[in-house]
Amino acid sequence: MSTTEVSPARPAAASGGGPAPARRPRTFEQANRRLKWAMLTPALLFVGLMIVFPLVYTVDLSLTDAFGAVNAGKGYVGLQNFADALGDTRRFWPAARRTLVFTVGAVILETVLGLALAMLMRKPFRGMRWVRTVLIIPLLTTPVAIGILWLLILDPTNGIANHLLAGIGLPRQEFLGSVGQSLPTLMLIDVWQWTPMMTLLLLAGLTTLPEEPEEAARVDGANGWQRFRHIVLPMLGPTLATALVLRAVDALKTFDILYATKGAGGGSDFEVETLNVYAYGLTFDYQEYGLAAAVLVLFTLFIIGVVVLLRRRGGRKTA
Amino acid sequence: MSTSSQLLSRRSFGRLAAGVAGAVGTGALTACTTGGGRPSADTPLRIMAINHVWSQAIRRRTEEFEELIGRRVSMTLLTADQLASSYNVKLNASGTDVDVMMVRALQEQLLFAHNGWLADLSDRVAQDEEFAWPDFQKAPRDASVSGGRVLSVPVVTERPALYYRKDLVEDHGGPPPTLEQLMATAQELTDKRKGFYGFVGRGQRSGAVSQWSSFLYSHGGDFVVGGRSGIGTPEALAAYEYYGRLLARTGPPGATNMSLEQAMPIFAQGKAAFYVDADAIYSSFLDPQVSTVRETVGFAPFPAGPAGARPHNIPSWSLGISTFSLLRDDAWEFIRWAAGPEMTAELQRDGIPGARTSVWSDPRSLASFPPDLAEAMRLNAERGLGYDRPRVLQVGRARDIVGRPLVAGILGNDVRPVARDADAEFAGFLVRDNRHKES
Amino acid sequence: MSATVSPVPAAARLRRRTAGSWLRGITIGVVTLVFALPLVWMFAAAFKTNVQVTDPSVGLWFSPTLENFRNIVEAGQILRSMGNSLLVGVVSTVLSAVIAVPAAWAVGRFGMHRTGSLILVARIVPAISLLVPWYYLFAQMGLVGSYTVLILSQMFVSVPLIMWIMISFFAGLPVELEEAARTDGLSAFGAFRRIALPLAAPGTATASLLAFVFSWNNFMFALIFADDRTQTVPVTLFNFISYASTDWGGLMAAATLITVPVVLAAVLGQKYLVAGLTSGATKG
Repeated sequence: MSTTEVSPARPAAASGGGPAPARRPRTFEQANRRLKWAMLTPALLFVGLMIVFPLVYTVDLSLTDAFGAVNAGKGYVGLQNFADALGDTRRFWPAARRTLVFTVGAVILETVLGLALAMLMRKPFRGMRWVRTVLIIPLLTTPVAIGILWLLILDPTNGIANHLLAGIGLPRQEFLGSVGQSLPTLMLIDVWQWTPMMTLLLLAGLTTLPEEPEEAARVDGANGWQRFRHIVLPMLGPTLATALVLRAVDALKTFDILYATKGAGGGSDFEVETLNVYAYGLTFDYQEYGLAAAVLVLFTLFIIGVVVLLRRRGGRKTA
Repeated sequence: MSTSSQLLSRRSFGRLAAGVAGAVGTGALTACTTGGGRPSADTPLRIMAINHVWSQAIRRRTEEFEELIGRRVSMTLLTADQLASSYNVKLNASGTDVDVMMVRALQEQLLFAHNGWLADLSDRVAQDEEFAWPDFQKAPRDASVSGGRVLSVPVVTERPALYYRKDLVEDHGGPPPTLEQLMATAQELTDKRKGFYGFVGRGQRSGAVSQWSSFLYSHGGDFVVGGRSGIGTPEALAAYEYYGRLLARTGPPGATNMSLEQAMPIFAQGKAAFYVDADAIYSSFLDPQVSTVRETVGFAPFPAGPAGARPHNIPSWSLGISTFSLLRDDAWEFIRWAAGPEMTAELQRDGIPGARTSVWSDPRSLASFPPDLAEAMRLNAERGLGYDRPRVLQVGRARDIVGRPLVAGILGNDVRPVARDADAEFAGFLVRDNRHKES
Repeated sequence: MSATVSPVPAAARLRRRTAGSWLRGITIGVVTLVFALPLVWMFAAAFKTNVQVTDPSVGLWFSPTLENFRNIVEAGQILRSMGNSLLVGVVSTVLSAVIAVPAAWAVGRFGMHRTGSLILVARIVPAISLLVPWYYLFAQMGLVGSYTVLILSQMFVSVPLIMWIMISFFAGLPVELEEAARTDGLSAFGAFRRIALPLAAPGTATASLLAFVFSWNNFMFALIFADDRTQTVPVTLFNFISYASTDWGGLMAAATLITVPVVLAAVLGQKYLVAGLTSGATKG
């Protein structure tokens, strides 16, 4: 605790960690720099320990034939696991395909519907607060509970959905009980749950847009659609790109709703087995840790690839 | 003034840090105490069990055992999935908080043995005359032995029962004695428009495999024939196509999603004429709270296929001792008591089928079962094979492979290409599995 | 694109606008119903008997019963799981905030984008990629099934989340306030604690609320790391599905019970939650 002269009217104060503060921006800088690293370090350490170390361990595991008990002996097999995974046309590639189909389909629908809804809600209206409240409930509810609720609604024999369909003369569907319909049904459930997220994100973006360009266009005689396409959409670009990346990454990693409704292996014919579900099964049902690690490495690279791609496309659109 | 505020901030920061450290510390401590520690006289004997009529019956009687050994008993009852994942977690951590384990000898034993998780009971069963190890039925007894060592003791056995509606089969000459007749009668009785199905059974890939095994054997097939994959043989193909056709033509919608929990209520609510599943669940159909067919349910032995009636007769649940347990002697005392001749007889008189020959030959123990069920169980036991799934380390993966053609059949697709592909996959799997067995 | 359009008479324009806003109102109403009705159906089913639930013709007009709730509470697990979820949620959120808020200040205030994005990489890496080695390590340490591992794994999600939200809050704070405090004699840390932190309190509240909700909902970690004693709510619910698949009433009651906190949070904290969820998006 050292005291030094400070700007006249105040008594001296000891600094948080080092020589006297107080006078010039330059000494401010030093103390600031020390402090900011002190503040940042716990987070960096934590993240480093919890991510970097395990990631390295996963890569290491992927090069072994680890199997069975966790502390059993294991040997290095080089890239054999990767060869096995990439050559597996029965489980791996279908899982990759399903992951892509699920993500692309759900995210596109969520974006389009979310944008439409955001445009609709753009101008403030009475009860907007309540609408927003209703909107955030699906996306904050536990996915397992959402799975249960749709299992009831879509139950082939007892569910209200088939009841309504029959009421308007349409044939009954098996929905989640059917092999072919499960993935599309789950995509729609995902759309139901996450469109509000896109809506809120895009709405936030829309409200920050300046009004003049649109006004100018309207005065010039452009109609609603033209204004949207040529003024709003380009200005919304960055927000759209961010929202897209956020949602795409989460959609690629979807697990809860798939596992809760169809169980291990993604259903009888693996119909909803995405890479995430597959990797989970490899680890905890088959105990093939080496192969699981290889699939996970590939999966992580896949996700990073998608993010990079989206960011680049998004950047180009806004340029 | 600012000095004190400075100190205050430092102090409060320090307090926060201390709090964090404390929280993490106590967390780590509690974690440690669950893992280690020497057992005191107060430590209960910990038993992990499946939520099953057997476990519930034993739990009602644990006081008697507690007095016997002077130690408390703590029994945890879980679902099959929870149990499996609990074992995975605790045994991978060499946890000492499990003493007696209830395991499925045919599902987990080989893998657990490979991992070294089950204690060797060979000496104990050999030296204990009262326990009468040879009294156990041959097939379950054989399944309890891995690598020449006795690793588990069977307590519940299971065979497939043909549950049927007496009122509906009256005009068809009673329950069908052959699979062919089952198919014919089921088709006649099916009226999908009215929501009534001739046959209901498990269709979910993995769960269906164990029930389908009886169909496989009765068509003359087997999972592994002469050390190689048997699921591509004509017999296996016939069995796949039969079961697939049965469920596709006469079964309820969404059959591929049905495990025991979904299939059983359909028969219990009177929506099906025939149901093939474990005979151990018969009491659900006599329970007025869940069943509307209490008066009309009949029990028949598994019908005969082209190769005769060859059902499975398996030890569905067995007791083992964890290698990491610190109370092995007390754990063995528990097994002696719970699986001993007296208790097995007592439980079987209460309707829980055990694995002891002496109990099965005692007419009193069969008196608790409905007479046609007792007869069905007896016949099934006589003809039964001792396993209902491939006898490999990775049973999970094997069931997934073997179950694919089954699902294809139930969906009404052509089984042959799927069976061919599954056959190739299974062959490759067997090679890898054998390699694991040897390592 | 600029074309001259003959001016539409004012009355017609007004008519069109009112018709437009009617249409808009109805559409918004319908959409809101689409999102609300399934949840309402779930709540309703929780109060129906099993016979009523499995009869799809029974709509929203029926006499409610508390039987389902009584049953599942008696079975015992659900209250214990809610307690577990509460414990894990609160502790992990508090610990995460303690770590993340100062870090977010450092990044937001000083524009340390590169370091910041390093931490945000955590949001992209799929949790499952870390689950295998975590499982390996925690199993060997005997920590699986303890509260510690549940809290630690949840913090892995909460720290980046709180940082993501707080960075934009701190970046938006005028630097002059802190500078003024520094010239007044406060230390750097003091400036943070007495100026920046209180100003960002709403953001902290938002971020913490969101972190708690995500902790409450976390399924995969709990599925792997919790045992029957430390089970959290989503796992209990999941086990319920296979265990009592015909007890729809009980299932719905359990699902309702665990959704009530979320609904409460949504109704009371809607403004904050939306702000938290959408922060960072407008910055791109």
